[in-house]
Amino acid sequence: MMHDIDSAPAKKGIRSDQFSGFILLALALGVGWLNLEYPLGSLREPGPGFMPLLLAIFIGAMGLLIALWGGKSDPLAAIEWPEAKRALVIMAGCIVVSFALEPLGYRITIFAFLIFFLGVLERRRPLPAFLVSLGFSLISFYVIGDLLQVPLPRSPWGF
Amino acid sequence: MVETFNNLMLGFSVALSPEILVYAFAGCIIGTLVGMMPGLGPLAGISLLLPATFGLNPIVAIVLLSGVYYGAMYGGSTTSILMRIPGEAASVMTCIDGYAMTQKGRAGPALAIAAIGSFFAGTVGVIGLMLLAPTLAEFALRFGPPEYTALLMMGLFILAYMSGGSMLKTLAMAGLGLMIGMIGIDIMSGYTRFSFGLVELGDGVGIVPVAVGLFGISEILLTAGKGEMPDVQKPKLRDLIPSREEFRLSVGPIGRGSLLGFLIGIIPGSAHIISSFVSYGIERRMSKHPERFGNGAIEGVAGPESANNAAASGAFVPMLALGIPTSPVTAVMIAAIMVHGISPGPLLIQEQPELFWGFVASMYVGNVVLLVLNLPMVGVFVNLLRIPYAYLYPCVLAFCILGTYSVTNSMIDVWIMLVMGGLGYVLRKFDFDLAPVALGLVLAPMLELSLRQSLAMSGGDYGIFFERPIATTMLGLGVVLFLFSIKPLIFKTKDWRADVGLDEAKG
Repeated sequence: MMHDIDSAPAKKGIRSDQFSGFILLALALGVGWLNLEYPLGSLREPGPGFMPLLLAIFIGAMGLLIALWGGKSDPLAAIEWPEAKRALVIMAGCIVVSFALEPLGYRITIFAFLIFFLGVLERRRPLPAFLVSLGFSLISFYVIGDLLQVPLPRSPWGF
Repeated sequence: MVETFNNLMLGFSVALSPEILVYAFAGCIIGTLVGMMPGLGPLAGISLLLPATFGLNPIVAIVLLSGVYYGAMYGGSTTSILMRIPGEAASVMTCIDGYAMTQKGRAGPALAIAAIGSFFAGTVGVIGLMLLAPTLAEFALRFGPPEYTALLMMGLFILAYMSGGSMLKTLAMAGLGLMIGMIGIDIMSGYTRFSFGLVELGDGVGIVPVAVGLFGISEILLTAGKGEMPDVQKPKLRDLIPSREEFRLSVGPIGRGSLLGFLIGIIPGSAHIISSFVSYGIERRMSKHPERFGNGAIEGVAGPESANNAAASGAFVPMLALGIPTSPVTAVMIAAIMVHGISPGPLLIQEQPELFWGFVASMYVGNVVLLVLNLPMVGVFVNLLRIPYAYLYPCVLAFCILGTYSVTNSMIDVWIMLVMGGLGYVLRKFDFDLAPVALGLVLAPMLELSLRQSLAMSGGDYGIFFERPIATTMLGLGVVLFLFSIKPLIFKTKDWRADVGLDEAKG
């Protein structure tokens, strides 16, 4: 926390709030640059670029203040990422699903997704993993797609 | 008063119809389950259920979603008390003394007091909503674009002042949300902004993919690789009755928590979370034996649980009376109503009395349903907690993808959800509050439109905000709160968060 003066050991190196503050500043500069494409208009008649510019200045100012006041925050290196590897695998699995959902249909994609997570990533026993994956993909399709009539993607084979 | 009574009767005639009762019941059950599941808070639960409400009539839709909302508030307390796992963020404070009571064999009374407190607070909240919302809506009929601009600005300053974490970080996140809200077609000029050539972004970024990503996916990423759930106690019905002393100690905290929660609920931000922290801090401060807190003090369960439920009702006041969401949950609910062509705002109560009063009455009904349902069935509900997390989180992920995709049947929304999930994961590592992002996203179009309309009205003269008494008062109040917010930063003093123990609890 920013105000936590005593608990943060005095180590050298960039602090977490300094880092996040500068990232926000960089984001604001990026938005400001992209915003050059849109007319700013005038104070009397603001254009489409007016509000984004105000917001970019605001975010940049906040980023700068966070960085300036961030000298007493925890060191950047103190932030631990023990779950990051697994989180990346989870994200990768979700990205694959996002590409497969429309071509393969909901039931096949979600079945394969759950088999991967339960069988490969979590190393669950094959039979329960298979039954949960099959049951979830079929029942959720039936409830959401058929009963609640939410249109869900089907495979080219109609399944 | 007679008019209010007649309106309420109209509401009950709607709420007690079999169809509404069934959906209120279903919403409460789904909400309880959602609240108990780590990784699925009320916001993610409501967002995922949103597409299923498109085919329903608007009254049924809002009754179902609000049932999920306050059901999740109840459900969150169960895991906090029995397992020291807050099902959702508002239940963090309940963990402390609730779990200590469980360790002392008093899980039943803790659950009962949490349920009774939530019921009382929910009822107080509904009465407050019933009395306050129509008055506020009548007042808001005087609002023009300058007043709405001032109101939204004031809301953002209050959000910064009342946020659980750093004020600068909260404002930066609100700015980020507003910036995301700039994506899409500018309705005044027709320009498509920041769409990177993607036609689907022309309509802007929806609240559902952002909310599910920031709150649902990021939670799963943070808890990835978590071990099995610990053993869970299964209290029997006869164990639920609190002692006379426990009742006596709980009365004050329930009353105070209800009033405090409702008032905090009206203002923007993560009100239900903040209210539970503030209530805990106040109860600890008021107690003759503060050393009992942390070791199983029933006041530490009664106060925060009442406060977070009352705050859930309070959040509906600005949503229904002004059409302004003060939390991501109410933002999603506004989306649910707007799908049906109804705009929440000052005219809603006059134009759609069945919707407003039916909703108010259904909240009474929902509170009774939750009390009747949850206490006797707590043994059934805790079975859900026996499902290994390794099985639970892939299914939650699949639900997130399914729910987000089905809102607009667009894969772009799923990608936005994943980007927001990754962003939320990193931001939480850096101790940023995510609620202002979702709130900023929803407020962005309203703020931009009202600001530009105000300037068009005044011919570019910013003095318009200082010539109209209501707008001036709101802006003045916002500036005063902003000055209060920056005072601890400049003078290195402690602010209200330290007084109620919010810093230490979050840190």
